[in-house]
Amino acid sequence: MKWIPKFNSSNYLRVIFIIAIFILLFLSSIAYKHNKDLNESSKLLMHTYEINIELERLMSAIKDAETGQRGYMITRNHRFLAPYIFSRDKVNTSFIALKKLTANNPVQKQNLEKIYKLIIQRYVSFENCLKYSAPETYDKRKLDNHMFGGRILMENIRFKVDEMNSIEKDFLNKSLKKYDQEISLGPVFSISLFLVALAFILLAYRKISNDLERLTIYNKKLLISSGLMAESETIGKFSTWQWDLQTDKIEYSDNLYRLLGFLPNAFVPNKDTFLNYVHPDDKEAIATSMEGIINNKELPFIYYKIVKPNNQIRHFKSTGKLLIDQNGSNILLGINFDITDEHLLNIKLQEHNNELVKINKELASFNHVASHDLQEPLRKILTFISRISETDKAALSESGKEYILKVETSAKRMRVLIDDLLLFSKTNTTKKEFVKSDLNELFENVKSELAVIIDDKKANLNADKLPSLDVIPYQIEQLFINLIGNSLKYSQPGIAPHIIIKCEEILSNEYPEIIDQPFKKFFKITFTDNGMGFDPQFKDNIFVLFQRLHSKTDYPGTGIGLAICKKIVENHKGYITADSKPGQGSVFTVFLPQ
Amino acid sequence: MQKNALHILLADDDEDDRLFFKDAFEEVKVQTKVEFVFDGLQLMEHLMNPDTKLPDILFLDLNMPKKTGKECLIEIKKTEHLKNLIIAIYSTSSSDEDIEDTFIEGANIYIKKPSDFNALKKIINEVITLNWHYHTSGLNRDNFLLSLK
Repeated sequence: MKWIPKFNSSNYLRVIFIIAIFILLFLSSIAYKHNKDLNESSKLLMHTYEINIELERLMSAIKDAETGQRGYMITRNHRFLAPYIFSRDKVNTSFIALKKLTANNPVQKQNLEKIYKLIIQRYVSFENCLKYSAPETYDKRKLDNHMFGGRILMENIRFKVDEMNSIEKDFLNKSLKKYDQEISLGPVFSISLFLVALAFILLAYRKISNDLERLTIYNKKLLISSGLMAESETIGKFSTWQWDLQTDKIEYSDNLYRLLGFLPNAFVPNKDTFLNYVHPDDKEAIATSMEGIINNKELPFIYYKIVKPNNQIRHFKSTGKLLIDQNGSNILLGINFDITDEHLLNIKLQEHNNELVKINKELASFNHVASHDLQEPLRKILTFISRISETDKAALSESGKEYILKVETSAKRMRVLIDDLLLFSKTNTTKKEFVKSDLNELFENVKSELAVIIDDKKANLNADKLPSLDVIPYQIEQLFINLIGNSLKYSQPGIAPHIIIKCEEILSNEYPEIIDQPFKKFFKITFTDNGMGFDPQFKDNIFVLFQRLHSKTDYPGTGIGLAICKKIVENHKGYITADSKPGQGSVFTVFLPQ
Repeated sequence: MQKNALHILLADDDEDDRLFFKDAFEEVKVQTKVEFVFDGLQLMEHLMNPDTKLPDILFLDLNMPKKTGKECLIEIKKTEHLKNLIIAIYSTSSSDEDIEDTFIEGANIYIKKPSDFNALKKIINEVITLNWHYHTSGLNRDNFLLSLK
């Protein structure tokens, strides 16, 4: 799997802020160091100057001593000796200060010690000069020597002091140079770092403002959809609730309050509130199923009644689901539907259904009556007539014989009528078992069934290849028999019947008769004959039960055959039409769904 | 009346039908002895009576008061000493349901009462000359309903 870094907005911001903070910390540490360096360098400067000053003080103290001694030696006035005497203390003080200042520098310390030795020697030379200049111990040669030696010592001291000063100066210069280098690196680097941090913060700001903008849009969308939801709940008569299992807080949608017969937010719901409104009959079942949701994480549809405060009973249907969100909290979501209207409608439908079942039963018992009780007397009439022997008939008058014949004909016709009526009701009431059948085979069966009449009439049948369909085979056979039989029966006298059967696949939207059918593809089977045809104004009537276009003496029949055809086609969710012009044959069209 | 005469029993509540049946048998050439019972209850009493000589063929109407032909058929087939009785259903009805039910319950043949006396005679002739052993062993739904060609 490809790894895709998934930065959501808040993580992204977090990263930017952490980087910015690090940059700022870094910058402030650089500034701190910079400051410290400056401090160090100024301290160093001070140190160098202090040493310098202290060394000069030392020099001047010795020079004071020299000047004082010279004044005394010339004037012999003791007042001139005072600076000389104080100079020792001054030298010591300066020396201690210098010792402290050079404590960290071994080279300077050594130099200082050398100076110290030189100074001591200088003071010894001072003493000697005083000694040999005094009148009691005056010695010109020795005095000159010591005076000269003093001069050289002074120069040495001067030299050493200069050396120390220059060492300090060098050290100072070196350090300053180093700091300068460090400090000169600082500003460009800090400024660029600062700019980077600024860029990051700007980026974060942009991100935040973008997010805010998006949030505003989503908020607006949310507002619209929650408004829509509330509206659709009202229209659709349903409501929602959510139950946070962690906090045990339950929230009802506004419409739930309304469905229960309250104003929105009329009370604060808790776990048991809802049960108060459930009809006593259903309380236990609802309580159990509420327990069940937590265990099964799902609530299958439950049906129950609630009682509104005005004692009105409403029928509810509910379902629910346990939802675990990203933060791992468990929330139960539920939907309650008010199905009272549907429920009442269902009851009505059920009543209608029961009525239909009753009517069907009555129809079945009517069939029974027709098949048994009506046929029984008829059969007896016919049997008794058949028992009137030829000898009995001979004894009758001519008119008597004719009446007997008419009784027989009428009774026979009644039997045909009853049989056809039974056949008609059978196409309606018997089990409809659809079997995939080859219509060509069924057609062949029909042809052999009608073979005698076809031969008799010298009829010519031409049929296309027919499809295989899910049909009730004996009914389709009956359909073919009735349609072909009809064409054979109503042929034109003296002309051999010619029946053409054509079949094609069509789409229902091309034919207004079947456009309302749920099927799209149909087979259109046409039966075209060259018979006597009929007046097209009867093209719908001929399918009505007992409707006949010819007198029964010319063409015997009951007027049930085409009614049966219509019933059969309807049983197959198809449609049948007829069209004709008198003397020009007729066309019967059967649409059967694929 | 001869001893080897065919023993026929008709269970039918209709007086006219019994009359036709009796007349038709009289005109048939085979020697027969025809007895009648008038309803299902009487039929079962007659058959259960140990003194009764069982008929060779029982003609059973379906639509009878007190006990229908179907109920009688089921009872007969459940009774040990009667279950091999040859039973011809003799009914006005030709409904598929009746034919199917009596076939399943074990009747041997189904005759639709004809509406012509001559046809009745023909049917009776056919039935009494039928080789029952052969017919019963090859019994199926197609030859169960007697049709005259």
